[in-house]
Amino acid sequence: MKRTLIFISLLIASTALLFAGGNLLLKNGTILTVTRGVIPRGDILIMDGLIKQIGENITPPPGVKVIDVSGKYIIPGIIDSHTHIALAGTNETGSANTAEVNMRDVLDAEDTSIFTAISGGVTTIHALHGSANPIGGQNITLKLKWGKKAEEMIFQQTWPTLKFALGENVTQANRQLSPGEERRYPASRMGVVAFIRRELERARNYLAEWDRYQELKKMKLLNRPLLPPRKDLQLEVLADLLRGKLVARCHSYRADETLEFIKLSHEFGFRIACFEHIPEAYKIARELAAEKIGISVFMDSWAYKVEAAEGIATMPAFCTQQGVLVSLNSDSNERIRRLFNDAAKAIKYGGLSEDEALKLITLNPAIQLGVDKWVGSIEVGKHGDLAVFNEHPLSAYTRCDLTIIEGEVYFDREAYLKERQEAQKASPKPKATGGDQ
Amino acid sequence: MRIKISYLLSLLVCLFFLPATAAKGPTYAIVNCRIVSPPLPVIEKGVIIIRDGLIEAVGIQGKIDIPEDAQIIEAEGMTAYPGLINAHTNLFLEEAQEPAQQAPGATRPQAPAERTPTRPDLHVLTQLKPRKSDIDNFHRIGVTTVLVAPQRGIFSGQSVLLNLNGEKIEDMVVKNPVALHVQFVTERGSYPNSLMGTMAYLRQSFFDAAHYAEHLATWKKTPRFLVRPVYNAFLEALIPFVVERKPVIFTCNNQEDIKRAIRLTQEFKLQAILSGANEAWRVGEELKAAKLPLLVALNFRPPTTSIYATRGEAIRRQAEQEIYPANAAELQKLGLTFALTSLGLSDASTFQKNIQQAIKAGLPAETALKALTVIPAQLLGVDSFLGTIEAGKIANIVLCKGEIFDPKGEIQKVWVDGRLFKIEKAPEAKAPAALSVAGSWRVTISSPMGEMEMTMELEQEGSSVRGQLISTYGRWEIRSGQLSGQELTFTVSIEIMGQTFEAAFQGKVEKETMEGTVQIPGGTADFRATRIPRSV
Repeated sequence: MKRTLIFISLLIASTALLFAGGNLLLKNGTILTVTRGVIPRGDILIMDGLIKQIGENITPPPGVKVIDVSGKYIIPGIIDSHTHIALAGTNETGSANTAEVNMRDVLDAEDTSIFTAISGGVTTIHALHGSANPIGGQNITLKLKWGKKAEEMIFQQTWPTLKFALGENVTQANRQLSPGEERRYPASRMGVVAFIRRELERARNYLAEWDRYQELKKMKLLNRPLLPPRKDLQLEVLADLLRGKLVARCHSYRADETLEFIKLSHEFGFRIACFEHIPEAYKIARELAAEKIGISVFMDSWAYKVEAAEGIATMPAFCTQQGVLVSLNSDSNERIRRLFNDAAKAIKYGGLSEDEALKLITLNPAIQLGVDKWVGSIEVGKHGDLAVFNEHPLSAYTRCDLTIIEGEVYFDREAYLKERQEAQKASPKPKATGGDQ
Repeated sequence: MRIKISYLLSLLVCLFFLPATAAKGPTYAIVNCRIVSPPLPVIEKGVIIIRDGLIEAVGIQGKIDIPEDAQIIEAEGMTAYPGLINAHTNLFLEEAQEPAQQAPGATRPQAPAERTPTRPDLHVLTQLKPRKSDIDNFHRIGVTTVLVAPQRGIFSGQSVLLNLNGEKIEDMVVKNPVALHVQFVTERGSYPNSLMGTMAYLRQSFFDAAHYAEHLATWKKTPRFLVRPVYNAFLEALIPFVVERKPVIFTCNNQEDIKRAIRLTQEFKLQAILSGANEAWRVGEELKAAKLPLLVALNFRPPTTSIYATRGEAIRRQAEQEIYPANAAELQKLGLTFALTSLGLSDASTFQKNIQQAIKAGLPAETALKALTVIPAQLLGVDSFLGTIEAGKIANIVLCKGEIFDPKGEIQKVWVDGRLFKIEKAPEAKAPAALSVAGSWRVTISSPMGEMEMTMELEQEGSSVRGQLISTYGRWEIRSGQLSGQELTFTVSIEIMGQTFEAAFQGKVEKETMEGTVQIPGGTADFRATRIPRSV
């Protein structure tokens, strides 16, 4: 009996350690839950990092910090499902297939872009390998706990994802070759599909080779020496994709090549979680909805290269209305702090409802990352990840004042401005040196 | 009769062993000296007898017989320390010549094998050319032993431990090879050209070495019905480190490198030592859990990735002067095992100054002494014959007036392998003859994407350098420029198309040229510069 008690208390202690979030009570805010409507004046209690109670006039348990947010708006922490921040490096360009590289190895917790992001209410990001190769690397999802160690930022519960890319970037269509330099294979859209097919075929053979080895090992035949196959990290990752342990995130622009990639996924039986950017998504919205493949897109950025020529401002709204799971991404360490502005544009261009617009930057990216059970809306039991705005977050005049992750405040505009002022007082502007004068 | 036999015996011993010893000199008796050799107790008034390169006897004055043939060294008021071991240097390393000029216009880098070698099979010993001035400079600060490691490539090769005892490299070798050296760098142009690629490359190499070893072992046992492995020098060189757990030294330039090294060590069960690690205190918990020893470089420059380096020059400078010097002191408080090295420092006197600064920042002098004697001896596997003043060990001894790490201390004599070196004051007035980098330079940066031409305008005031880097994309200010000896370092915030990143330049300056590397987030590029003649 005593032993069980000890065991249980140990277990509790260890889970508490695993999830050591903060305690916080936000009072008197307008709560935009995203999934359960709007509470005009309400409180949110976060205990041990999880939302414990949403309602009115919640009494703070002893020792819990209270922040009064009267007149302000609370939304779920914003999720950017396509970024390259908090990383030391974006692309491994040494090969057209770099499935073996993992963004987990190059986290940079001191990237100041993290601070930029939380100043715009972003709490979760998907940090991806770049789009230099048809098969890129393994990506990672992070909570933007600015000031914490890289390991503490990793969002463990997300799906492991593998980056693919199609089109002009991987064919290096816009790259000036030096004299004497050869163009890398694949250099055409058809080449890209053929290349990915060849690599997946290799992964299939690799799986078969290991299966054969396991069989032989079981048989314990013949006194013949048996050697395991060579462990190939690149093929291990692609094999995991075929086994369903990883999902694909594919950078694509044109409708035709996107459909080709969907065909490939059928041929090899792997899952595509999401297409990235895809300005032509409106041309294949029905197909995407039927396949249950999400898209992570720019709100209103197109025509910056040939394959981006046919973008339209109503695309995110139209695709949403067609039943596609749409999220808005920044893909930028600067625009990441204005995602709420982007969401608002989907109301103007295409007529989404407020909830639908907010979902583009909260719940939908959470679903695309496989973590909607934990984040993406304000519900009891979910992580205490919130962003507090001074005005309605879809207003053009709004700004983010507080960003909270798992009950801890990581961005407090007022405190930050004060800190900055004091720092300026302590060390006045350095004398300008150099320059043209 | 008995006397005769023992006489014969010793004669025999002499005949057999003496010709083989490396450095043989006169016999010395250092008398009346204080002997400090932690963890052994201090001897306030002692004697050390040195014969045939070894410490023949050591003990309290009066209890040790002074041999008749010994040259007496009167050391009243002086302290004898074990010769210091500098456990990570790139001393005597002749930089491999840059590949011959490429065909005009061809900016594409050449094939990997022709460029940065990633060569676990490289023994750095084959690349060394001893320089007397380097030896003298290290003797001046009491260093008698150095680990020399190769410095290019991800697998840069295998290191050697040298006693700085003279002219010939063969005489200097104490242990070879010592360890395999791994760096978190990238290959230019080819795979892997990113840090994440380097990690994958390291993992794949370790897997392949283990597989190759298994194949080889299986084939040796049962050669029938098994195809023999294709000979592979690269993998064969890795086997002792991956399979037999010989030491692997990872150079860690920042806290994330330390975590990367810990991960690899755990994944492949390597016997690792982490070198560099000048912000190791920031990952103290992880290091404690991993129980990995360190070779801490006394280089106080915050890494370019550090939060201390990205928030302006004032914070960076303060960190360099106050925070980073306390690294070793913090590690001592955490109870971690570490040696101190000069990796990344331009010369011996900076090393000495930085040892003093680390002590000023809270590192107990005794810990510093251990970290330069007995600890590196243990970490490098030579503590049975090096690292302390004990009978039978190699006679590496420093005789100092005052305390060795005290700025007022004066190192007067150094024995290396029993050979006496009298210390003369460093040649004065090195400064006026020092280089000036002031003027205009044409800079070529070679990156994976090709070459980039820029111009650089430098001004110099003492050792501090400022100026501008000018390219077709804009003009960027050169910050925290420092010229130390021939080594020029500076950083530039480069702004291209709305993106800003820090580039840290480090180069070696000759009169009219300089060359070196540029660290940018996620990679390293090379740069060369030539002076633009002043137009009249």
